[in-house]
Amino acid sequence: MTVQAERANAVSEPRERSEPAQRRASERVGGSGGAQPPGVIFDEVSKFYGEVLGVNRVTLNIPPGITSLVGPNGSGKTTLMNLMTGLIHPDNGQILMRGISPRDPEALMRITGYATQYDTAPRWATGFTFITTGLLLFGYGRVEAEEKAWKALEHLSLTEAANRKVAAYSKGMRQRVRLAQAIAHDPELLVLDEPLNGLDPLVRAETIALFRTWASEGKHVILSSHVLQEVDLISDQVVLIANGMIIAEGTIRAVREEIQDHPSQYLVRCRDASDVASRLFSEDHITEIRLNDDRMGLLVMTRDREQFARALGRIALDGHRIDGVVSADENVDALYEYLIGGE
Amino acid sequence: MRARALDFTRARQAWTIARIELRRAFFAKRGLWVYALALLPALIFFGHGLDAKWRIERLSRRGLTDPALMNSVQKGEAIEAVKARLGKPADEYGGTRVRRVRKSGNNGTTTHVIDAAVDARFVRLNISRPTYNEEEVARIYEFEVYGADERQNLALGRPATGGAPCSPDRGPEKAFNGSVAGGKPDSWCAEDRPFFLQVDLGPARPVKRFVVKHAGAGGEGEEFNTRDFNIQVSTDGKTFTTVATSSGAGFVDERTDYRTLVYFDGRREGRYTFVDGKIDSWNTDHPLNFEEDRMIFAGIFQFFYLRLAIFFGCLGMFMYLFSGEMSNRTLHYWFLAPAPREVLLAGKYAAGLIASAAIFGGGALLAFAAMIWPHDAVELQAYWNAGGMSHAFWYATAAAFGCVGYGSVFLAVGLYIRNPIIPAAVLLAWEGAAGILPHVLQKISILYYLQSLCPVPAPMDDDVPTLIRLLAAPAAPASRPAAMLGLLLLSAVVLWIASRAVRRMEISYGAET
Repeated sequence: MTVQAERANAVSEPRERSEPAQRRASERVGGSGGAQPPGVIFDEVSKFYGEVLGVNRVTLNIPPGITSLVGPNGSGKTTLMNLMTGLIHPDNGQILMRGISPRDPEALMRITGYATQYDTAPRWATGFTFITTGLLLFGYGRVEAEEKAWKALEHLSLTEAANRKVAAYSKGMRQRVRLAQAIAHDPELLVLDEPLNGLDPLVRAETIALFRTWASEGKHVILSSHVLQEVDLISDQVVLIANGMIIAEGTIRAVREEIQDHPSQYLVRCRDASDVASRLFSEDHITEIRLNDDRMGLLVMTRDREQFARALGRIALDGHRIDGVVSADENVDALYEYLIGGE
Repeated sequence: MRARALDFTRARQAWTIARIELRRAFFAKRGLWVYALALLPALIFFGHGLDAKWRIERLSRRGLTDPALMNSVQKGEAIEAVKARLGKPADEYGGTRVRRVRKSGNNGTTTHVIDAAVDARFVRLNISRPTYNEEEVARIYEFEVYGADERQNLALGRPATGGAPCSPDRGPEKAFNGSVAGGKPDSWCAEDRPFFLQVDLGPARPVKRFVVKHAGAGGEGEEFNTRDFNIQVSTDGKTFTTVATSSGAGFVDERTDYRTLVYFDGRREGRYTFVDGKIDSWNTDHPLNFEEDRMIFAGIFQFFYLRLAIFFGCLGMFMYLFSGEMSNRTLHYWFLAPAPREVLLAGKYAAGLIASAAIFGGGALLAFAAMIWPHDAVELQAYWNAGGMSHAFWYATAAAFGCVGYGSVFLAVGLYIRNPIIPAAVLLAWEGAAGILPHVLQKISILYYLQSLCPVPAPMDDDVPTLIRLLAAPAAPASRPAAMLGLLLLSAVVLWIASRAVRRMEISYGAET
């Protein structure tokens, strides 16, 4: 956490900025809280696709540095990223990207680069014209735009293919050209949807190095992945997301601990539920017990599965009849297993 | 000061977007038919001009005729007299028309006489085509057979046979009962082939004349008269000899000779039609009539170009500006540009407008050029001096303003509705009905303003069907500046509505997480 705080301070220090929009953006940030680092803030954000839930009551405060959104496919990572960049709008809640609302693309997009997962490019575009055209919209002159486009292509080792049609690129090259487009205008806030997908190991290493450089410059690098190991080593912090909800957030170590400390829930079916409950309640690792209405079962929350199992064994030996024990949050357990990789 | 600088940046951004979009607007694959729509009037007029020029060339080949001589043709003149006075015609054609008409006075009765009397005991009438209207029912009211003295009907009341009668009371004997006055029951009729009647005269005796009274003689229509038949005689009832054949009994061919002479005086083409060698009618017309062509142009421009070509052209070019990119999954690139959505809308609209105005304004000018091209220089000079140039300008302007109006409408519609069919039908009906709406409502139709910009009102003579006249007529055309201002205001309102939709628009390519 201390590392991030330092980085945040580095960003809040005044830097030379020529773009009026950037100035406006920093003014706004400055106005919102003085020395407060300009983060990516989600406040109770929900998004529904019709009846289907996209993300639910997401509250986040992402400091500068490399942050990975990790979750299985369909968990809402792209929805979060689209919300950050204003491609979709929240049904509830508020989003501020370094102090700028995504509803103001004119200001936000000057400091933001978003490499989407949409694997499309206009039919006419070559790698070079694709990026140059995008830069023209930033108000750069043609010469400057071409220079910047060339630099971005160099960063991603695409100069050889620069004058070929994007449509004829391989999947990995298209991934790189989208990355190049996202970074071409030198943004402070990078949103990258599965940026390492389809990259060969060499380019992957170079790209990760690039992320580190940007992060060290105080930029936000927010990327998504469905494999935690992939981003484990490079991320300053991770956000675990499943079914549209944030289930853990923080440094990778903190998240691991949080998951391990997460209480497990068990449903216990037994005859004399209140007796069993009182026996269990004397154990330290039990945090909560709820009796079923029929007094034939109880819901137990424990911080330690093994101790809980031992305790239950003792109770059974003492003559209490236990009809069954079922994990009440098997799905959540499986998810953690999946995300953490079987630890 | 700052706001001003900002606006300028936005205008530049919009222009950058428009420049990028122009390529797509001009060369979209789905837009090829837009060019076809825009160029169709030019093609029509070019074809018409070529045709007229070719006709003039062909008519002039045999020499021109003095206009005064062409005017001098009198009623009742014979074809030879006209040819002698006017000379060899530029063209001549004609033919004979044959018409079958009823031979007057026979009342459905035919008489057949043989040169020399022959002996006969049996006389037989064989019918091959029973009627003129091809109905397969034969009917004979009376069949009379006369001997050499031609006084006595030898067949009267004699035993008769024949084809199966169509009803029991209309047997063969009815054709030998000496009467035709009793209506249908007084005749023989048969529905099944072979159609024949045979009478036994008793002893063999000489016969010379036969009288057949057909349907007409009994009061039925002439078309039921027997058409083709023959009469045979026999002495033994086995060997028959044909003595008379008739085809087309009661009718004759009337022949009429039609000829048309065509004379050309360099401008007018005169057509003189002669019936049986005598003049019947004549008329003159101009292969190239500038006045008429201009009216036709006005009609095509208002009824086809403004109402259909530009309407559907703008539908094709503007409706997919956003939804097309949504289905191509490229819209997010625009949404990720550092520009307000309104600027994006303005840029895309500008691109569509520039392309459509160039295509349809150019198409209008091209059609105008094709319309005036074949006409002679003197006429054109006069037209040019009388404001021809301004006509061309206003046609092109009306086309461009049509793109302004319909473009904004279809851009907005495309943001709200994906399927073009229903909105297109509703708008077409609304625009079509604008002429009969109350005046206030007319002002929210694009056509109302466009019609006020047209330099020549649409032709509204008696040839135009009432319904179209009703629909096409603007109740009170506005002045041109008012019309342009009104159209721009209307388009601005529509674009404002569109900008609300674009602000709310979200990227939704389907199956996102």
